[in-house]
Amino acid sequence: MKRPVFSDWNIKSVNRKAAIAELLKLFPFQSNTQDLLLTALETREQAEPTIVHKGIAMPHCRSILVDDFMIAIGKSEKGIPWPEEKVKVIILFITPVKPSGPDEHMKLIRHLAKLLRMDGAEKLLSADSPIEAASILKFTLQESKQNE
Amino acid sequence: MNKDLERLISLHDLDVMISDLQNKDIQKQEKKLGLSPAAAVEELKKMRGELALLIARRSRDMYDQLASHYGNAVVPVIHERCSGCFTQLPTAFVASPDRNKQVETCPACGRFIYWCD
Repeated sequence: MKRPVFSDWNIKSVNRKAAIAELLKLFPFQSNTQDLLLTALETREQAEPTIVHKGIAMPHCRSILVDDFMIAIGKSEKGIPWPEEKVKVIILFITPVKPSGPDEHMKLIRHLAKLLRMDGAEKLLSADSPIEAASILKFTLQESKQNE
Repeated sequence: MNKDLERLISLHDLDVMISDLQNKDIQKQEKKLGLSPAAAVEELKKMRGELALLIARRSRDMYDQLASHYGNAVVPVIHERCSGCFTQLPTAFVASPDRNKQVETCPACGRFIYWCD
């Protein structure tokens, strides 16, 4: 599954909501759209924190505000309270709402679940660079300031 | 952006989230990730109720009717067309300086429409 992914390998935020907002800023959206996406992702987190492995969170949703897959990976050396556990790696994705239904969304979750259940989670936590992390997740790193 | 329009978009995304987490295939994958989709759905339904109450009653009732009829009550305008029914929107709509500053509906299908980035 070769999907373009944005990255921020030095997340400065010290709480969950701010960290998600920091990653959303990587996407080319206006602030209003970023705010609405933050609301959606944070609502999901409030319902249930999306910690998918010790040290890894996966905020995700489908939204009518995006017309293509938006994926970002981030890392915080200090860790971010999520809020009960500290998270060092964040895999954030938003998939579009299509008339065909949630199949593509489900396939992306299945892809990540499979990789993380193998040895992907440990590799991801010890990845030294976003390029390495993207490669572990079988994504293609997107050009952006944060990736340079 | 108009606050009610923002809330209608959030309500739509929340409904999609609830529907996704009730989808058996997605539930299976979320469980493999160690998540608890069933518990999350219950919490999301509570939040949906709270959000819906913040929307003007007329818009909220329309949303429920449209969602029940079409499956989606809020759609973006793409290439000057309603992306729900693909009807070309009138010039007055497209040229309006008040895009997203008020709650607008497609003159053909009645869905709530918004202009995206």
